[in-house]
Amino acid sequence: MFDEAISLSKLDSKFLLEVNSHRYGRNINACFACGTCSAGCPIHRVYPEYNPRRIIRMVKLGMRTEVLSSKHIWYCSTCQTCKERCPRGVGFFDILMVLKNMAARDGFAPPALIEQARQVRQSGLSVPIQEIWVNKRKELSLRPLQGAWEKAARLMEISQP
Amino acid sequence: MKYALFLGCNTPTKVFQYELSVRWVARKLGIELVDIEDMVCCGSNYANLDIEGSLLLSAMNLALAQARGLNIITVCAACTGTLAEAVEALKDKELRARINKKLSAVGLEYREGSKVKHFSKVIYEHIGVERIKKEIKRDLSKLTVAPHYGCHYLKPKSAYGGFDDPDNPQTLHHLIAATGALPIRYETLLLCCGGKTFPISQDLTYSLIGMKLENIRKKNVDCLVLQCQSCYLMYGTQQKNLSEKFSEEYHIPVLLYPQLLGLALGGDPTTDLGFNLNVPSADKLLETIEYKREPLTFEVQKVEKIEDEGVKR
Repeated sequence: MFDEAISLSKLDSKFLLEVNSHRYGRNINACFACGTCSAGCPIHRVYPEYNPRRIIRMVKLGMRTEVLSSKHIWYCSTCQTCKERCPRGVGFFDILMVLKNMAARDGFAPPALIEQARQVRQSGLSVPIQEIWVNKRKELSLRPLQGAWEKAARLMEISQP
Repeated sequence: MKYALFLGCNTPTKVFQYELSVRWVARKLGIELVDIEDMVCCGSNYANLDIEGSLLLSAMNLALAQARGLNIITVCAACTGTLAEAVEALKDKELRARINKKLSAVGLEYREGSKVKHFSKVIYEHIGVERIKKEIKRDLSKLTVAPHYGCHYLKPKSAYGGFDDPDNPQTLHHLIAATGALPIRYETLLLCCGGKTFPISQDLTYSLIGMKLENIRKKNVDCLVLQCQSCYLMYGTQQKNLSEKFSEEYHIPVLLYPQLLGLALGGDPTTDLGFNLNVPSADKLLETIEYKREPLTFEVQKVEKIEDEGVKR
């Protein structure tokens, strides 16, 4: 993929605007591609293919399909090192969140996260309610976990994206 | 000192020893932890799919604590980050109004001014290292410990009012030293545990976990000390799988900081601090500090005659 010339006709010039218009993507234009984000990224360290600086570049070029359908954007470990060290206040972590939201809306999301989100919308907890831990808590004399099952379900219902 | 306790989703369902030791240490040091029934997920993973939905979840928790006039203590580093960042984001009037409109459907409202603090931060700032030293009941000076801060405990610094330094952190080292144990510095100190990547790619995460454990193993420490249950699920629970995957033998005990602190303050490892639940086993560590199970303090009395009512037909 990376040794092919980029075809202008395949680029989406509105992609950058779309990302930039979101609250969490508002500083993307400050990026001058210094690479500090990639340099500090633990995922990039063990998997160099994953490259924050390149992802920003692809957004600026308008490579919407490649970015949103990529599995890379889900690898972030949310360590926030990029956001902490960026000399321009771009906050790659925040931009990536916007990209993930857009990808999810386009139908690209890892099954694990979809299942977790479904669980949260149903019960307010991101883990399923299982006898194994309910019983373990009883055994250890820890208070039963109530959780606002109905309240959370109600709340998430009215806030469906 | 009274706070709403926010446990998150994984600590109360998977890492019981963390909850046990937090509650024990809080009781010992006079920190009152209030359990609020309706608390829900902080929304940290939900943000990947819907940022505003995640803010809504965070705001619900903040509003619930606020309704009782309380600030929040968290035990998970990620929850701390998510809730603290929500407090920052909700300073925006328009966003807050939008969120409150939805919260009103469940009878809640969030006003500005909530504070969210990680348990270790409360101990560091409000109890303090000097007081801990005064209350030591057990000698941990034979222990060498590798600290791991947890990314969200330190970053982004702006959400934590400048607490500690993400590039050269100090607070956990001080907290460990206060217990009498010796904290070390090591090359991969700042390396992320990869906990959030684990459900997406186990291989990637194992590389990260392996890097840290390999580094620590060479330092001959008695244990790794953590401040986040997510990190524990990586370094502790996954250690056996990692050993198998890389054909290596890792036997590094992994503790949560309140377990270490509780040990120093005289807590019983099994009945108070959940040491028996830790994987890998921390038995060797307990041997090092010469922990002996307390002998029975009552004597069995010899019974001369048994009087019973016989068997009823």
